Parts: sequence; C-alpha cells; structure tokens
Amino acid sequence: MINTETLPATDAAAAASQPASLFAALARQRVAATVLVLLTLPWILPNQSLAVNILIYGLYAAGFNLLFGYMGMLSFGHAAFLGLGSYTAGILIAHAGVAWWLAIALAIAASALLALVMGLLAIRTRGIYFAMVTLALSQCVYFLVYQFPLSGGENGLRGVNVPTIALPGLSLDLLDPTVKYYAFLVVVALTLAGLSRVLASPFGAVIEAVRENEMRTRACGFQVEHTKLMAFIMSGAICGLAGALNAIHLSSVAIESLHYETSGLVVMMCLLGGMGTFFGPFVGAALFLLIQDLFSQWTEHWQLYVGLIFMAFVLFFPKGVWGTILEKFHGR
Amino acid sequence: MEGITLELVGLQLFTGLALGAVYVLLAVGLSLIFGMLTIVNFAHGAFFMVGAYAGYAIYQVLPNFWLCLVAVPLAVALLGMASERLLVRPLYGRGIDYPLLLTYGLAYVMVELVRIGFGKQGLPVDTPALLQGSSDILVGQFPTYRLFVIGVTVLVLGGLWLFIERTSFGLIVRAGARDPQIVRILGVDVGKVWLIVFGLGTGIAGLAGFLSAPMQGISPEMGGSVLTVAFVVTVVGGMGSLVGAIVAGILVGVVESLAVLFFPEAAKVSMFVIMAVVLLVRPQGLFGRAGLMS
Amino acid sequence: MAADIILSTEHLTRRFAGFTALHDVSVDFERGKLTSIIGPNGAGKSTYFNVLSGTFPPTSGSVLFEGRELAGLAQHRFSHAGVAKSFQITSVFPAFSVLENVRIALQARHGRLNFWSPRRALGLEPHAHALLDQVGLGRDAARRASELAHGQQRALEIAIALAADPALLLMDEPTAGMSPEETRAMMDLIVTLADQRTVILVEHKMKMVMSISERIVVLHHGELLAAGTPDDIRAHDEVRRVYLGKH
Repeated sequence: MINTETLPATDAAAAASQPASLFAALARQRVAATVLVLLTLPWILPNQSLAVNILIYGLYAAGFNLLFGYMGMLSFGHAAFLGLGSYTAGILIAHAGVAWWLAIALAIAASALLALVMGLLAIRTRGIYFAMVTLALSQCVYFLVYQFPLSGGENGLRGVNVPTIALPGLSLDLLDPTVKYYAFLVVVALTLAGLSRVLASPFGAVIEAVRENEMRTRACGFQVEHTKLMAFIMSGAICGLAGALNAIHLSSVAIESLHYETSGLVVMMCLLGGMGTFFGPFVGAALFLLIQDLFSQWTEHWQLYVGLIFMAFVLFFPKGVWGTILEKFHGR
Repeated sequence: MEGITLELVGLQLFTGLALGAVYVLLAVGLSLIFGMLTIVNFAHGAFFMVGAYAGYAIYQVLPNFWLCLVAVPLAVALLGMASERLLVRPLYGRGIDYPLLLTYGLAYVMVELVRIGFGKQGLPVDTPALLQGSSDILVGQFPTYRLFVIGVTVLVLGGLWLFIERTSFGLIVRAGARDPQIVRILGVDVGKVWLIVFGLGTGIAGLAGFLSAPMQGISPEMGGSVLTVAFVVTVVGGMGSLVGAIVAGILVGVVESLAVLFFPEAAKVSMFVIMAVVLLVRPQGLFGRAGLMS
Repeated sequence: MAADIILSTEHLTRRFAGFTALHDVSVDFERGKLTSIIGPNGAGKSTYFNVLSGTFPPTSGSVLFEGRELAGLAQHRFSHAGVAKSFQITSVFPAFSVLENVRIALQARHGRLNFWSPRRALGLEPHAHALLDQVGLGRDAARRASELAHGQQRALEIAIALAADPALLLMDEPTAGMSPEETRAMMDLIVTLADQRTVILVEHKMKMVMSISERIVVLHHGELLAAGTPDDIRAHDEVRRVYLGKH
C-alpha cells in the first residue's frame, strides 16, 4: 500500500485519472470522509440498530485493523478487549453507579492494561504462534470473567442503564435511538481522529515498516518489540472503548462478547472490508452486518453464507472490498 | 482437603491421562500439519467435531463400533484432503496468514453445516457395550472406556512413529519438517506429500473426536473449545515437535485433572498458567527449536 | 607504524549444532581502509559477516568495535553503535516509496518517539534525498521500491545503511546477481563510500576484490588463512593452492 504521505501532491493528481486523484484527496481527509459517511447512515439504512452496530463494530474493527492491517500481526484474541471493556463499564455502571464518562475511561484503561499483559506474553513468541497464543489468552480471560461473581456468568450482565447523558448546558436522551447514534458518533469521530494522527505520525511509519520487513526494521535500529507492544496496547484500548459503548447501547453485556467467535468476527470484518486501509474496517463491519440483517430474514443459517463469502474473499479478494476498490482506481 | 486419598489422586491421574490422550492426538495432528505445510490449521477443532458427528452418522448405517473406529478417521481424512487440495493449496506463498484465515472460515462453515444437518443441540453418545463399566486398576475402579482411549492413543502414536521413522514417506515428512524448501528441491511431488500429511493430521483429529464422543457427548461447538486446548498444548510443547505434543498433552491433561481435585476453580485456567510460564521462560516451547519461523 | 584498528575479532568461534562454522578467527580491520573478506564456498564468510554485523552472536570470542565489545548485543544496538550493513538478499521495504525507505532509516537515527506529529514534521526528507543522490537514485525517489531493478534495489539498500551515518559499513556480496554494468557501477559507488568511512565487504568476485580492496582477509574452512594487501595475497602460497587447486 503506497504511503500517500510521501507522494507529492502534484504527482498524485497529474499521474492519475480523476478517480485516483479523488482517492488521494480522500486519503488526506480520511477522518472527515469517514465521519461524513457515518453521519448519513441512520438515513440510508433500513433500521436504526443496524446503524449503531456498524458504528460500534466498525470501531472494534478499526482497533483491530491497527494491529492486523497496519502492523501485520494477526490476533485471534481481540474479543478479550471488547469484552473486558464491556464488562468493566457495565459492572461499574450497573453495580457501582459510576458516571458514564468515568466508566468508559476505566474500561479503556482496563483493556489497555490487559493488552499490556497479553502483549508481554504473546509478542515474545515467534510470529506463527501469535494467533494461537492470543486466542488462548483471550479464552483464559473468558473463563476468568465467567467465574467472576459480578459478571453474571452464563446469563451475562444486566442493568447497564445510562438513560441520559448530562453535559454542561445539554441533556442527551439516550433512549432516543437517533440521539444515541449521534452521541456515539462524536466519540467514534474523536477516536478516529486520534487514530489517524497516530498512523500518520513517525510511530505509524515504524508500524508499517515492521509489516513490510521486520528484519530490516530491526537492522535500521528500531526496537521492534517495543513498537509491537505499544501498537497492541493502542489496539486493545480502542477495542475496549468499542466494548464500553456496546454495553451502554445494549444496556447489558453477554458472555459471548468474550468468546473466541467474537474474536473471529472482527477478523472477518477486517478482511472483508480491507486490511490496512482507513475505511476498510467500517466497510467490513457494514458488509458483515448487512449480510446478517438481509440473510437472516430468509434463513436462520445466515452464518453459513457469511462463512462462504469470507472464504471466497480470502481466496479471491484478499484485499477486501475497499482494498480492491483502492487498488483498481488508485493507479497502482 | 478432606477425603483426598492417594487412591483418589491416582484415579484422577488416570483421568488426566485419558484427557491428555485426546489432547495429544489433537496436538500431534496440528504439529504434523504445521511441520510439513507451515500452516496453523484453525479448522483442526472443526475436524475433531466432524469426526464425532461422522461417528454418530456412520453408526446409524453401520452399527459396529469397531468398523466406525476405522471408517471415521478415513472419512475425515478424505474431507481434509479435499479441503487441502481445493481450498488451502491455492493460498501457499501468499504469506502465513492466508491459509490460517481460510481454515478459520472453513471451520466456521463446517460448524454451521453440522448445525443444519444435526441441529444446534448437543447429542448424547453411548459408550459401546463391550467397553462399558469399569476396570480395576490397582488404585481403584476406572472407566474401561477411558482406558481404551489411552490404549488407542498409544497404538496410534506407535503407528505414527513407525510410519515417520521407518518408511520412505516418513523420511520425506521428517526432511520437510526440518526444512520445507528442501523437499521441493529434491524433486519430490510436494503436492502429494501435503495432501497426505493434511489428511493424516485431520484424520487423527477426527479419530480424537470420535473417541471423545462417549465421554462428553457431541455438540457443534465442541470443536471450538478443544481448539484452544490444542493450541495451548502445541505452544507448550513446541510447534512442529511430536515429542513436545505428547509431553505437553499429557502434562496439560494431568494438571487439569489434578487441579479439579485440589483447586477446582482454577482447573479450567490451569493450562493457561502453564502456557504463560512456558512463554516467559522458554518461548519456543519445551521441545521447540529456538528461532523457528518468524 | 601502529595501524588504527576500528574493528577486531578475537578468537571468534561459531558452532551450529555440532558443526563448527568459524574457528578461532582473530583479525584486525584498519580504519578508513576498504577490506574484503574472501574465501572458497563454505569458508564461513557469511557466518563471519553475520557475527560481525550482529545477526547472531558468536559461540565464543569477541567482536570489538572501537574498543567496545559488541558480541551478543541485540541487533538494534549495532546500528546505534555505528555499524551498518546491507544484506545479501536484498531487504528493503517493498511497498514503500524509495524516499520513504531511506526516510524511515533516518528516523531510526534522528526521530524520537512521536505518536502525534505528521512525519513531515521531522524534516528528514532533504537528508533522505541527499542520500539517494549519493547512490544514484535521486530521480527515483517517488517510485515504489518493489518496482526498482535489482541493481537499483541494492543501491537503495546501501542508502538505507548510510542513513545511520555509520563509521563502519558492512556489505555482504553487494554485487550478487548483477550484470557487468551494474557491477561496475556498484564498484565505483563502493570506492566513493570508502573514502568517507571504513568499508568491509564479503565478496567472491576475485577481479573486483583485487582491484578495489586495500586489504584482504582470506577464510578457509572457518579459519583465517591469510590477511594482507592484494599483493601479499596474490603471492601467498596457501591462498594460491586453495584457489587454484580447486579448479
């Protein structure tokens, strides 16, 4: 994937046809473009809950994409971060009456801490073990939370109620789906803005360098293990935020959010959308959820079709929907 | 800690061996596939599950446990070979992640197909008449069927050892495990080797599933939970090492069973503690080679 | 006439599971000189190179750079110490632009941990351009590294190594796989680079080695066979036997 930051503006515009220069402009304003599309979602989608889910799972996928798409590390344990974020925020709100903003902040911190611990264990292994170790560690988290008294075990957590958000001078009624959507969108937009800055920063360059050629990155003098750990923590934190939002959205937390199928879910979304691209995660989340929404109206076995579509993508469209579009029109 | 006698510990040890036997079979298959094809087979648990269901289905048509014992691994191996040839092989050379992703998708689809065919609920499976009841093993009465599982595992491992150490095909497997490139350079038909090894690995997984069915029943989700164990055992033992798979499988099985006795709450996470310790002290696994695969 | 030694190995030994690749190799490399390491196939040249450059540690013995022990240090420390290398199998960042390849190497040297500013804020682009000009890739800055010809990719490798402003540049078979013209261009580049710093090469193209080297080290069966000027080596009986005897 060409690093558009280093292409002089004239090159991109002059050398390519109209669609390509449009994409170059999009890349420069990727956060604004994403938010613009997300703004319109409630109006173009068949139902409201689908829109919020795309927002939440898109954020989940964006956090995962940082590690998988941009750094090249395939983790099969990201449900641990989503789930821990959900449970932390959920338990704090439902059992301790903590304010929503503090609960979210602590959820992010908890997920980041978990990422630190998991990262310290998983990153020391060779690349081929990484997927296996992350899966195993997240299953460990699943078992631990399952047994944790306040989590509700099999039945999950109920009563994560945040009916209103009181801001200075403004009271947002979260029971109204539209208000909830746009409140969440603000959070997602801010996160994406931060993520975009990190990706465009010198640190972001090292992340991509590790994906391109880890040995060479090491030889240049970078401490690759530190970089991997920091990216892992950032990734975990973003997914923890998505989990916290999910707990508030559903007013509950299901134990399945920690299950490895939820880890597999984000892998599928990321691949379907386009790994290593900024829009990919949201495209992937939207695609997956739309297929689920559509197909489940005809058959209860929609997962079969999603699975087959996923396999087809792995075989024939590994760059995902957005990645393939970029490749065709970016003039590469 | 009342009521815990030496006999009880001994019995739990054997339970651990029976549990470990299944784990060993899974890890051995996984390691074989990785050693030869350099693929982490995320569908390994699904093949385990399919083995259990294949046994259930074939038994309806062929109500003879012993025939099923032979037929099931063969059936699963065939499925495995078809998967390798049609789905996995096109992805070689595309980087280590793609075959892994494909096998994950395959598992997803396989689970759904089984749900469609056999329903979402689990099904109980009877222990074959001949192996019901318990036998006296010095420390007490132990389910005969579990002894049988341990026995079959030992036989399979023995057969595998003979195959790898004593046949010319086994020589290729050993060479390929040392250095996958070498096999190609030596002019061997690599495609055939991959096919057979994948079939062998998945066939063994299917056998493990078939064997474990009477012990815990069958359900479409059984593959998922067992996949984690297979991974833990492989990481602990060392990827690509068959000795490692055996030692680690027994270790995990025994520790888990003993934990049930002494620290029941920790039983389920005991294997992760082992894995964490190994990762901290010897990241390549107990018998893994340092610097293997980056 | 004490020579100024920049790098030396003392009793360097490297074993691989029962096979001894290097045995008791003690060599001094003079500062500012272009030294080539040669030897027949299997002499241990690549192993020696890998130990000198930090790819893996020796089994025993020392690698002293500017008097400091480097053996056993992590790879990134070598770069920070002032030792840079180019790989035998071209190792660049294929999807990055040529400029970015060098810029990121510079970042390793000059950039502090930074998650927030845009990359341009580090101001490394002019320096990167200068390095590209030095190796003859000035006009290819915007091209994707994977699109370069083989010889150009090797030049890019060198630019990346130079980004660390190393006092010592190690090169493992820099002309491998190159056409005669590319080889000549690379030789000229190496000689230019050797003016400003110490260069140590591993090579087996004898004509090239003889024409550009100021010092030559000969390895054979993992041991030091001879060391000296090209004239010394040409006249060395053992060396002649090893090389001519093989034909």
